Amino acid sequence: MTVLQPHLAAEVGVDESFNAEACMNCGICSAICPMDIPHLPRELFRYVELGMRDEVLAHQETVFSCLLCKLCDVNCPAGVHIADNVRSLRHYFNRSVFRI
Amino acid sequence: MTARRIGVYVCHCGGNISDYVDVDRVIDAVKGEEGVTVARTAMFTCSDATQQEIYDDIQSLGLDGLVVASCSPKLHTLTFRGVAKRAGLNPYRYTQVNVREQCSWAHTDDREGATEKAIRLVRAGIARTALLAPLDPTVVETVPKTLVIGAGIAGLRAAIGLADIGLSVVVVEREAELGGRVQAFGPMYPNDKEGSELIGQLVEQVRRRESIAVFTQAEVVKKAGSFGNYVVDIRTHSSSSMTMQLSVGSIIVATGFADYQPAEGEYGYGIDGVVTLPEYKAMLDAAKGPLVRDGRPVRDVAYVYCVGSRQGDQGPNQYCSRFCCSAAVHASLQLHEKDPAARQYHLYRDMRTYGKYELMYQESREQGSLYLKFPEGEPPAVAKGADGRLLVTVRDQLTGQKEVGIAVDLVVLVTGMVPRENRELVKALKLPIGRDGFFNEIHPKLRPVETVVDGVAICGACQAPKSSSESVMSALAAVTQSAAILRQGRAELDPQVATVDADLCTDCGDCYDVCPYDAIAPQEMAAGRKVAMINPATCKGCGGCAPLCPAGAIDLQGYTGAQVVAMIDGLAREVV
Repeated sequence: MTVLQPHLAAEVGVDESFNAEACMNCGICSAICPMDIPHLPRELFRYVELGMRDEVLAHQETVFSCLLCKLCDVNCPAGVHIADNVRSLRHYFNRSVFRI
Repeated sequence: MTARRIGVYVCHCGGNISDYVDVDRVIDAVKGEEGVTVARTAMFTCSDATQQEIYDDIQSLGLDGLVVASCSPKLHTLTFRGVAKRAGLNPYRYTQVNVREQCSWAHTDDREGATEKAIRLVRAGIARTALLAPLDPTVVETVPKTLVIGAGIAGLRAAIGLADIGLSVVVVEREAELGGRVQAFGPMYPNDKEGSELIGQLVEQVRRRESIAVFTQAEVVKKAGSFGNYVVDIRTHSSSSMTMQLSVGSIIVATGFADYQPAEGEYGYGIDGVVTLPEYKAMLDAAKGPLVRDGRPVRDVAYVYCVGSRQGDQGPNQYCSRFCCSAAVHASLQLHEKDPAARQYHLYRDMRTYGKYELMYQESREQGSLYLKFPEGEPPAVAKGADGRLLVTVRDQLTGQKEVGIAVDLVVLVTGMVPRENRELVKALKLPIGRDGFFNEIHPKLRPVETVVDGVAICGACQAPKSSSESVMSALAAVTQSAAILRQGRAELDPQVATVDADLCTDCGDCYDVCPYDAIAPQEMAAGRKVAMINPATCKGCGGCAPLCPAGAIDLQGYTGAQVVAMIDGLAREVV
């Protein structure tokens, strides 16, 4: 069981650039991903939203595998800026894991 | 038996009947029955053309009885009674024979059997019709006054509506104060008007109307008389108990609901910090700013939805309480307004903020409330957590049902509505109770506020869980129903009721007790002799008394003993 960390979303930057609230879990992003990344982006964003820090940290590889090609971004019917969110997540990893 | 002139019409119903029943053979088999003057088939008997044909037959052939073998009597009894009436034939000399639902549709694999059965059914219909006497509707004069039971938002609004239509109103409220549950609420969805303000307006309106009399701390203990002219006993228990008697034409029941009370341990109920929705609402209404409980700030709140509703095999309540999703979401908006930093977690099975209330749901999500859908079979668990907080565990569907723990200061159990205990009133009015424990209407769509007791309507949350605006809507529907009856001053009732042969009755009393509508009472005859007397306005024609009478003195008009025996003979005779 993961105990939710209510500050995680704010730490990642949900209020400013990170926004996955509109996601309706349709799965187009996963289907269209040229890297065939299984966890990106819906589950990962949900972890951030809820504050499941351990789950987020466990997916470091997926976060850095993304090409930032924005195929998902332009095809998202809910208009979620997926690639921007991945950037925010990388930024979060850099700060909190790699301390850079 | 005198020679009757009966018309028989067997319907194809397009092919619904004739695909499985040889309708021409049915006509051949019954056209020689005693009393049959004309027997025909029709493609659609209910069509205007065939109705006209029947009308012409009645007039030109002088028919004195009518049989239509078609669909269920529920569909077209009134249609063909209407044809009879228009053509000058007493409508109660009509028999509808069901050869669709109870014959062709039921025996699609057996044309021969279905045809034989149809012949028997039609013969029975003819046999009954041959013995039908003309009947006239019972006309009752109505008292232009309505009794409203319960002075909550529904009862008060109904009283005002009735008064404005020109009827006198008597409002009876069990509590000392008017206003019911809504009176105690602060801001309510959707427009944040305070409950006390809404009730204040209604009470003011009630006061201004002289035709409304209000009795508080009063209860209805007895109802006698019949539809359009009920006599009710009202007991008041303010300073001293006393009973008074009133004549009213109709009754509107608006007795409201009770809150679902979770059992000890249900979703952690009983642990400090676990509250029900009404308890939470009272906390919110009283708070000026951020919530504080026992000196500690409430920063994280979890809502558990569907507590006491949609229980499946976990409890008796199978219904959705319908108001609670919107009420809980509204409460979360209220908390956000008092404390924008408060974090709110909504653990739900399905969000049902139907209609315009969806906007509140949207707003709440935009404000940062988190919504987690849990699987039906695995509801959240609430336990004591660290530092006097609570830990809620739940499986989140959007992360593939990962189990997450949420540390919170307050858990709100979003409790629904349950039927209110009202045993005495139910007994006094003989109110019909549904399987869910709420009062039952006749038809959920077409007669949504009337009950099987004529002149007694139900409205508000005593009928089913409702929001306050839905309660008011149903209250106004009940007003329309009452006014429609009472404003005419008279009402016509179905004459197919039980009657007593005074010569045969021995006043044994067996029928008095068995009548579910209290329609039978002894009546003094000449020479001190007593016989059972059936009030045709109260009798529903259920027939419960007829077979019970040891003297065979009771007959149900339209289904007399002789008619039923004749029908059985018709059914039993060989088809050949």
